Amino acid sequence: MKTEAAILRRNSLLLILLAMLCLPLADLELSFPDFWPELSRLGIAIVTPEVIDGWQLLSVLTTTLSFAFQGVVIGAVAGFVLALGYGNAWVRGFAAFIRAIHELFWALIFIQLTGLTSLTGLLALAIPYAGTFAKVFGEIFEESDHKPRDALTGSRFVVFFYTTLPLAWRRMVDYSAYRFECGIRSSVVLGFVGLPTVGFHLESLFSQGEYSQAVAMLYALFLIIGSTRLWLIKQLIPLYVLLSFVWLPPVADIQWSMIWQFFTVDIVPAPLKYSTGSLSDWFRLLFSKQIGPGIANTMILTQLSLAMTLLFAVLLIPLRSKLFCGNGRIVGHSLLVMLRTTPEYLLAFIGVIVLGPSMLPGMLALSIHNAAILAHLSGRFVDQLAFREDRPSGMLLYCYEVLPRIYRQFMALLLYRWEVIQRESAILGILGIPTLGFYIDSAFEEFRLDRAMLLILVTALLNVLIDKCARSLRPSSG
Amino acid sequence: MKRLLSTTGKAVALLSMFFVSALQAQETFTFTAIPDQDETRLQERFGKVADYLEKELGVEVNYIPVKSYAAAISAFRNNQVQLAWFGGLSGVRARLLVPGSKALAQGYEDQFFKTYLIANAKTGFSASKAFPEDIAGSSFTFGSKGSTSGRLMPEFYIREHLNAAPKDAFKRVGFSGDHSRTISLVQSGAYEVGAVNYKVWERELAEGKIDTSKVEVIWSTPEYPDYQWSIRGDVDKRFGAGFQQKVQTALLNIEQPELLKAFPRQSFVEAENSFYQPIEDTARKIGLLD
Amino acid sequence: MTKTCQPLFRLENESLGYGDHQVLQPFDLTVNQGEKIALIGQSGSGKSTLLRHLRSLSPDIIAWCPQDPGLVPMLSTFHNTYAGSLGQYSLFYNLLNLVFPQKKAIADVRDILMLLGLSEYLSKPVSQLSGGQMQRVGLARAMASGQSLFLGDEPVSAVDEYQAKELMRLISEKHDTCIVALHDIELALAFATRIIGLKDGQIMIDQSAETISSEQITALYSADNED
Repeated sequence: MKTEAAILRRNSLLLILLAMLCLPLADLELSFPDFWPELSRLGIAIVTPEVIDGWQLLSVLTTTLSFAFQGVVIGAVAGFVLALGYGNAWVRGFAAFIRAIHELFWALIFIQLTGLTSLTGLLALAIPYAGTFAKVFGEIFEESDHKPRDALTGSRFVVFFYTTLPLAWRRMVDYSAYRFECGIRSSVVLGFVGLPTVGFHLESLFSQGEYSQAVAMLYALFLIIGSTRLWLIKQLIPLYVLLSFVWLPPVADIQWSMIWQFFTVDIVPAPLKYSTGSLSDWFRLLFSKQIGPGIANTMILTQLSLAMTLLFAVLLIPLRSKLFCGNGRIVGHSLLVMLRTTPEYLLAFIGVIVLGPSMLPGMLALSIHNAAILAHLSGRFVDQLAFREDRPSGMLLYCYEVLPRIYRQFMALLLYRWEVIQRESAILGILGIPTLGFYIDSAFEEFRLDRAMLLILVTALLNVLIDKCARSLRPSSG
Repeated sequence: MKRLLSTTGKAVALLSMFFVSALQAQETFTFTAIPDQDETRLQERFGKVADYLEKELGVEVNYIPVKSYAAAISAFRNNQVQLAWFGGLSGVRARLLVPGSKALAQGYEDQFFKTYLIANAKTGFSASKAFPEDIAGSSFTFGSKGSTSGRLMPEFYIREHLNAAPKDAFKRVGFSGDHSRTISLVQSGAYEVGAVNYKVWERELAEGKIDTSKVEVIWSTPEYPDYQWSIRGDVDKRFGAGFQQKVQTALLNIEQPELLKAFPRQSFVEAENSFYQPIEDTARKIGLLD
Repeated sequence: MTKTCQPLFRLENESLGYGDHQVLQPFDLTVNQGEKIALIGQSGSGKSTLLRHLRSLSPDIIAWCPQDPGLVPMLSTFHNTYAGSLGQYSLFYNLLNLVFPQKKAIADVRDILMLLGLSEYLSKPVSQLSGGQMQRVGLARAMASGQSLFLGDEPVSAVDEYQAKELMRLISEKHDTCIVALHDIELALAFATRIIGLKDGQIMIDQSAETISSEQITALYSADNED
């Protein structure tokens, strides 16, 4: 009989070993660019944030929050409905599939259908979030006490509302509240494809070298995310949601002909559309030129980033806890807010300036960002632990008492981040690493929606596969 | 009132309005432009153009900023914009997607456009008339994936001279996103060689943004046609007969140096779809169009 | 055993409590080396508070065995026992043992577990053990510290009578000085040289085990407001 710690340790070592195997395949070359001019400008900007138009900033932030609120609420409602049928394998598969596609790709798809409108932003967030909510709610329902349910007779549907739902309600509300923070981050990221959120401006300002303005905008975001505890009060959420719909009504001038065309022309594979060549040749070519190498690069980047996330997170967790940092944890807390709020894309951008283009800045960006989220989430458990009076202190306390106790939750969260990291590895095309995401982006940019859809499908399947893998590594309860 | 807002502010306000306006404002004439360089400059430039067109056309005119070449094409196709300042390749793509659409006008210089290959000084590559074949094996960055001057034409010449796809010809191939960033990435040495729109290069050089001790032009492509204004074919139906003609006249009549300087073009001349046939052929040849 | 004159603990006019709540009224207490002391009294009489206080006075020289052993359920019996001896080794050695248990550490821990009848559970996760077994792991952990002053709070409450006696004998044998809270009077009398009886936050009894009478004990456990 192995101890749970031994299983978790084995799984951790397995992940690290896997990363080591990927290491020789990874493109980690350092080109040592002349980064001082750029970096010193960035450094100066950090101490000289500049807001040129306060009203614009306010309006952009409001739009960002509005997308987040709408996306999370609609996602939660849809996810709840899906969770009711979570016992059904088809429902589970459907939920896994819709959350396997990154919100950016949903946005790129919906831009084709409903244009660059607020409806597009809402759907791009709500759809993958519905998939995530379905999974989390579904698992909460499964884990909640069965006895009250079994003791009652009558329609299962009614019994559910009398027993399981009230039992699960608190956890559902807690989770949804947490999800708003993710919603804000996702909403920021939607700006990268043109929706008018903070990301839109961050990307422009960064690429133009207007660092002072970009930094000011980031600071505003840090402030919002860092202070959620003060303003994101459960009772006020309905009001926020209402206001978000007033500020940003989800409308679009839907042209059915466009939608019809999308399904009947745009996504039809080129050989069928133009009757040139055979479908199998098209597929074979795409597989050997894009899908194959894309999968390889995506997996290498993902595995390396995952292992680094594990290491960084283990180092970052104590920063946030009263146990280890006392009142100094406010500094740790702020650091984690900054690291997890800065979109990976920007971290990678800074990485490219300093290290030159390779997989390295991508790995660092993904792992720093995700480690900060992981440390934030698992750090919460640390201060709930009770210890003996003769506990060791410092490093030994952390390794002998804290880590073993929280490692189970930590590992579950890390394995969940696995699929997230894989999805996010898609948006780092700037590094010149041909991941699947790079090819999807190219396909959209070349307006080859047939290729884009096939590549998205492959990416989603890969993601579902990773989700399955992660599940089998997760120690079962009991 | 509008003038009180800063140009950036105005663009954002318009972008938000644009979200709501989808329902009511059928009579607003909207246009966009591919984001090929600094966006503040784009907003400044096209804010003025919007004001000018509004005066000339007698309808409300909006400019909306977009994030990518593809977004500009999508907006044009979905009729969210009726007019767009496209590059050669994006124009070809957009017009293929919207039957009846038409290239109206191009910059005087766009009749003979060029791409510069630029290299970091440390590489030791120097300017030459012939294609610098020794760049094979170095790291290389294009601009945007959908750009004519930053992608299509340089890729065409790279394939022709190095007999290989860029991916195989170079150690590493990146897409910086826009021309300004290509220059700064090559200047810093993050990439050894890059391809850049010659107009952007010359403007940034004049503005003193380029350190020629660190980066220099090593080759220039032959001339090809590039940027143009394209308009949807159904504008006459929506804005009244002869509207397309009116827009063309307004564009060709732009004479104010402050408007022209922003592009920067010395004047606009008439264009036709057929001018861009070579671009379309090249795109098909290197597999960027099906 | 040689007795030195230097007492291990000397408390004078001490009172204990938390916040406004006073658990132990002002009292005097001296503990000398070599003494085997049993703390008796109803639950809530302040035994645990007294033990915790004594421990806090010089935590580094104490083999500590609290009522709730506070084991880490995900770790093996080995790790939970070894944790008692962390203070004796370098940080590196301790971390190494966490991931790759060393032969010597295993041997040391096995010796202790052998005494407690736990050697077969060496690599078993403690979450799989019974209550009595877990309590013995707690004891093993205290013994692993290698300290000669044992402070225990009901260290054998979860095992059967026979085993309890054996374990107390072992504790007494392995530690020079012992202060143990016990609810089993018979066990206390058999083990201790000195009995301290607590009631309502006061030390009611403090005398040698041989001289204690059954009336005294009855009085200690009788309810307060009895007619």
